[in-house]
Order: sequence, then C-alpha cells, then structure tokens
Amino acid sequence: MLDNILSGFGAILAVGPILGIILGVVIGIIFGAIPGISAIMAIAIMLPMTFYVDPIIGITMLLAVYKAGIYGGSISAILINTPGAAASFLTAQDGHALTKAGKAGKALDMSLFASVSGEMLATLVLILVAAPISAISLQAGPIEKVFLLLFAFTVIGSMAGESIPRGLLSCCLGMLFAMVGMDSITGSSRFTFGVDELIGGFTFTPMLIGVLVMPEVINVIRRRKVPHHELAITRSANPTDNRISFREYKNVFRTILKSSGIGTFIGALPGLGSSTAAFIAYGEAKRTSKKPDQYGKGSVEGIAAAESANNAVCGSSMIPMLTLSIPGDDVAALLMGAFLIHGLTPGPMIFFEHTETIYAIFAGFLITDLFLLGIARSGFRFFVKMASLRRYYIFPCVTVFAFTGAFTAGQNMNDILVLIGFTVVGYGMRMVGLNPAVFIIGFILTPFLEQNLDQAFAIVGGEYHLFFASPFSWVFIALSAFFVYSSMRVKRKGSKAPAPAAEKPA
Amino acid sequence: MDRRKIDVVLSTLLIIAAVIILTNDNLAEGGAESDLGIMFLPRVVAGFIIIFAATIGIQSLNKLLKAAAPDSNEIIITNGFSGIFIYIGIFVAYWLAVPHLGFLVTTPFIMLAVAILLGGRNWIPIIIVSVITPVLIYYGSREFLRVYLPTWTL
Repeated sequence: MLDNILSGFGAILAVGPILGIILGVVIGIIFGAIPGISAIMAIAIMLPMTFYVDPIIGITMLLAVYKAGIYGGSISAILINTPGAAASFLTAQDGHALTKAGKAGKALDMSLFASVSGEMLATLVLILVAAPISAISLQAGPIEKVFLLLFAFTVIGSMAGESIPRGLLSCCLGMLFAMVGMDSITGSSRFTFGVDELIGGFTFTPMLIGVLVMPEVINVIRRRKVPHHELAITRSANPTDNRISFREYKNVFRTILKSSGIGTFIGALPGLGSSTAAFIAYGEAKRTSKKPDQYGKGSVEGIAAAESANNAVCGSSMIPMLTLSIPGDDVAALLMGAFLIHGLTPGPMIFFEHTETIYAIFAGFLITDLFLLGIARSGFRFFVKMASLRRYYIFPCVTVFAFTGAFTAGQNMNDILVLIGFTVVGYGMRMVGLNPAVFIIGFILTPFLEQNLDQAFAIVGGEYHLFFASPFSWVFIALSAFFVYSSMRVKRKGSKAPAPAAEKPA
Repeated sequence: MDRRKIDVVLSTLLIIAAVIILTNDNLAEGGAESDLGIMFLPRVVAGFIIIFAATIGIQSLNKLLKAAAPDSNEIIITNGFSGIFIYIGIFVAYWLAVPHLGFLVTTPFIMLAVAILLGGRNWIPIIIVSVITPVLIYYGSREFLRVYLPTWTL
C-alpha cells in the first residue's frame, strides 16, 4: 500500500493536478461562502468542465471544490449568521456571537484549523481503510451484491428523507427514472413511448444539475426580496482577538480529535450526513466541556467541535462509495457520477483496475487540505469580498453555467429540455418533502442492481431459496430491518422534540 | 398552501401510474429474453411506490378529515412564486432562442433578464458582466474543452 501511496503522490505532484486543486479550492471557498450556494451546487457546476481533462486532474479538482466548499459555508455562518447548510448551524451560533464581540478573526481561524484537522484525519482513515474493506467486499458475488444494494436503498431512503415513506418513495422514483431507455442486458426499450430521444435514457449531468442545483437558484429567485447582507470581518483592537494562538489550538485539540472521530464514523454510515455528525459532536463536546455554559454564546471549542465533525464527513463519506459502490450522501452521489463519467466505476474493483489513479486521487485529497489552509488563511479578505457580491451578479452567471454544463454533456439541445424538466421536478420534490439526493442515489444505483439481479437469477435458476443460502443475505436483511427500525425510533423521538431552526426548509 | 392536499393528489397520481406499470404489457418493446424479464424490476418498484404513496396519501387525508392544524413543514410558502414562473419562462426562451440566435447573442439578454428579475439596477456593471461572461464561456469551452456552443443560424 505504501508503494501505491508514494506513486499517488508522484502522480499528483505535477502542474496540472496542482493547478486543478488550487482552482478547486478557490472556487469551493467562494461558492461555499456565498449564502444560497452550497458545495454540491459548486461541484455540479464544475463537473462538466472536468469531462475533457485527465481523471486525476478532474476528480481532484472536484474533491477540492467539495472540501473547500464545506469549509466556505462557515464563513457566511460566522460573519452574517447565515449557515449555507444545516451542518453550519452550530458554527453560526458560536461564530456569529464572536463576530458581534469583534472577534471574527478568531472564529474564522478556529473554523479553518478545525476544518482542516478534521478533513485530514478523515482522509487518512479513508486511505488506510478503503483498500482493506474493498478486498473483503470483492468476495461478494451477484447475490450478495443484490442484498447489499437493497440494504443501501433501504438505509439511505429511510435515514435521509423527511419521513421514512417519503425517503423511500424518493428512492423508488429515482429508480423508475433510471429504467427509462434501452436496457443494456436485453436491448429492450422501456418507457420510451415511441420517443427516439428517450432510448438513451435521461442524460445524467442535466438531470443532476436540474434536480440538485437549479432548485437552489429557484429558491433564491423566490426569496429575491429578502435584503442583501454584506459580509464583513470585524476587527478588535486587541490583536489576540483576531487570531487563534497555538496554545488555544492545543487546548481544543482533544475536542477536534474526538469530533473528527465522530464525524469520520458518522460519514462512513450511509444516509446520515454532516449535519448529524456536527450535532452529535457538538453535543458530546458540550457534555464533556469545562465551560458548557459558553456553548452557543461564542465558544471557540464549540466551533472546533462542529467544524471538525462536519468536515470529517467529507473524507469518510467516500468510504462506502469507493468500497461498496454506495454513495452515503448527496455529494457522494454526485462524485460517484463524476467517477463514472471519467470511466472509473466506484467499487472494490477500482483499487485493482485503476490503482495509480485512485491513489493519486487520495494523495490529491490529502494535499488539498494544505492548499485549503494556505489559500484560505492568506485570502480571507478576498473571499469575503467575493462572497459579498450581490445576487444579481452571481445567479445570472449560475444560470448560464448550468445551461452550458447541461449542453456540454452531450452537445445536444434536448439535454436543456431535460434540465428544465428536472428543475421543475427537483423543486416540486422539495416542496412536497421528497428528497432529491435520495432520488439521485436511486437513479445511479439502479443499473447496478438490475445487472446484479439478472446475474443472480441466472445463477439460482428456479431454486429461489438459494438467494437466502449465503449468510451475507441474512446479515444485510437484518441490517436493513435494524436501520428502518432505528430510523423510525429516531424520527418518532425527533417529532416529539422541537426541531432546530436550521433544519426547517428555507 | 396546505401540503397535505398536494400529498393526496400526488399520491393518487403516483398510484395510478404504478397500477399502469403493473398491468400494461406494452411499456417495453423489442430486445432479447432474460431470466429476470424486462418488466420485473419496474413492477417491483411500482409495487413499492403504491405502498409508500398510499401511506403518505392516507396519513395526509386522515389529517385533513380530522381538520388538524398543519405542522410547519406541511405549509408551502408561496410568496415570490411569480418570480419562479418568470425564471422558468426565461429558461424556456433561452432554450428556444439559442439554436437560432446562437449562444453569444442570446446569453447577454438572458443574464440581463435574470439580473433584473433579482432586482439588479446597476446597469453598467450588469451589462459588462452579461457581455463578458458569455464571451469567456464561449471561447473557454471552444479552446479548452473542445465544446462548440451553438452559433447564429438565421
């Protein structure tokens, strides 16, 4: 493994990948810091631009956008109390309290150091754990894979939706849309209704941009009369209030380590995501803190806990995707699409078929943290200025990028129609409480399910009991039932307790 | 707007669509035979859609019949919806115009329209951004990505 890691560093330390990482970090921070634009939106917009470059450059650039975008969300959370995502809600509480006290520099520094620490630790876990897990999962045949995929659908659908039926319905709808077009095994065309353009199915990129990106733009359009907030860094006359000293960092290092561990563990489980990680880590840090009363009122330790946990999810959410072909959340689903577009099929075989590429991507993932630290630290003022741009400059550009991105996928105007159609579908899904990310995961995984199901049927012939002959089958059935049951319990508990403000729809 | 009413209508429509998938044999055409059967998975999924849609629809209908007060997530805020329709209209116009007028000609007008919709009134910077952005994208796509965006065909 060490040889592979070293050769990965050799491949990534070239002009192209480094430029890609720098560009990705800059774009990620800017997009993440702009209220109303999330990391996922930035990745989806950047995705078509990576089609024509080497996968090492393209994928590392997207991963840099992801990491930097998640960190960038904390800038607007700290400066104007507007969390870009629910995961930054807790950062906003403590960070904005520090901003009001003239200590924005301290909050921003802590957020950056905690984010980078959390991401680095999770990336190291990813590098060390992914290949051994993939070696185990290689033992799985088509029957086991069918149960694994059913487990993934059940867990993601039940954990990620507003309610279990809504989450699972979102997944089923994604699966149904994936079945449109010519079947790769039999050559039959399904649900095409005589329309030739549908034989190839729905093009992935326009659909992705339509379902995940454009509803965010529409949300901004709908709330266009909400006043614009200018981002500004408040400065204290006391220089120690404008930065984090090594001693302060050392004091919270235990919290960062523990929160990163929580974030890494939660991120590796499909369907939970960064908000859950941030809330659990924050709660745990508060429980064990010497000054729990300061939490929510400007606690540096609170920022460290929330940020290190939600950023640790970045690295570990790649573990199920790269080892089992299961994207754990919406960003992982998007990245899985990016891997597929670049000819890399995420799953255990990736470590054997594309060893050099995957380890180069891992090395890039690790190096990104150093660039993020350097670029963010030296360019706070620039990023704050860029993120303060008024929305009537930003969103016309986003519209054009979405159009160009959708067109670039197949150089076909019909893809723009797909984009418009799925924009309406994506926004409609959010309105009725269906989960667009689960929809996308259902869409991506269905061809794998159908292929494995077909092979499994060929293996068992008429003896259907053989489906349940493997212990893997029973393990995954038991795990699915356990996750649905625990999800029902969590949701029942959640419905009794008042929901946090950040979880409410915008 | 009460989301529960939409739930009932949407669930009904989904159940009807799922029943069509379960009962209609003409939804797939051509191709070879397989062990699985081309409509096996769609029908399994359609079955699950019926179950989940019915669960959502019945829960919402029950609440409506009991005249229970809606939860915060069961109310759809419709303020600013006119802007959404205008935006979708702009996008459709963009789609229709680009094949004829070309990307470079259409895009500045579209960007200007979206900027105005978002309340932009600083004309000079908005016009500069609306002209420079498409030019950069057009030549960037052509030179670096080898993607040729549509040009004027009239």
